[in-house]
Amino acid sequence: MASTVIGAGITIEGEIVTDEDVLVEGTVRGKLSAKESVTVASGGIVEADVEGSSFAIAGAVTGNISANDRVDLQGGAKVVGNVRAARITIADGAQFKGNVDMDV
Amino acid sequence: MAQASRSRTSAQSGEAARIGGGTRVRGNVTGEGDLLIDGNVEGTIRLDGDVTISGEGSATSDVAAHNVSVSGSLEGDVEATGAVRLGGTAKVRGNLRGASIVIDDGAKFTGRIDCEFDLPAELSGSAARR
Repeated sequence: MASTVIGAGITIEGEIVTDEDVLVEGTVRGKLSAKESVTVASGGIVEADVEGSSFAIAGAVTGNISANDRVDLQGGAKVVGNVRAARITIADGAQFKGNVDMDV
Repeated sequence: MAQASRSRTSAQSGEAARIGGGTRVRGNVTGEGDLLIDGNVEGTIRLDGDVTISGEGSATSDVAAHNVSVSGSLEGDVEATGAVRLGGTAKVRGNLRGASIVIDDGAKFTGRIDCEFDLPAELSGSAARR
């Protein structure tokens, strides 16, 4: 199945519910609920509580992240919020403020 | 036609915006660039670029954009600075406004059309008094 792309110039305010991959290069405000992987590209802005299976974040996320599988904060990522995931990586250069809950 | 508009997008803004088939958006979509809707959108859509609702796509939205092309279903008003095209599989309920409007054979449409154009010579002779 093909994925959903929120392009660089696009802002969505509201709720996104999907069972596909999501790539955010623009701005999402509200709520994002995905069943598959969520990628926030460098320059992408998410001001929302997000849930999904796995996250790769290089952009800015303000809100709580809940992943069924894993969260990868890449260099340049800026995350303010709580992260709940079984596995998490925070790369050198990523900024993170919040709590981590690894369900142990 | 969809291909042509998509290649224009990638030249413009890098990655084309797309609401995939398994995606539902409830809220407002605004910004620059083109948008392809294969999924479902509920809320206003206001873009500088082109909006395409594919055969699988549906929207309950007022749409303001440059070119608007609908092959799926749309409930809401369309205000285009460019062309509006309802494909043969389109199902549209709402008012259309644009610089040019095309409704293909097979399209279902309920609403008003507001489109300014010059009447052909044989009609303008009797309609426009000199």
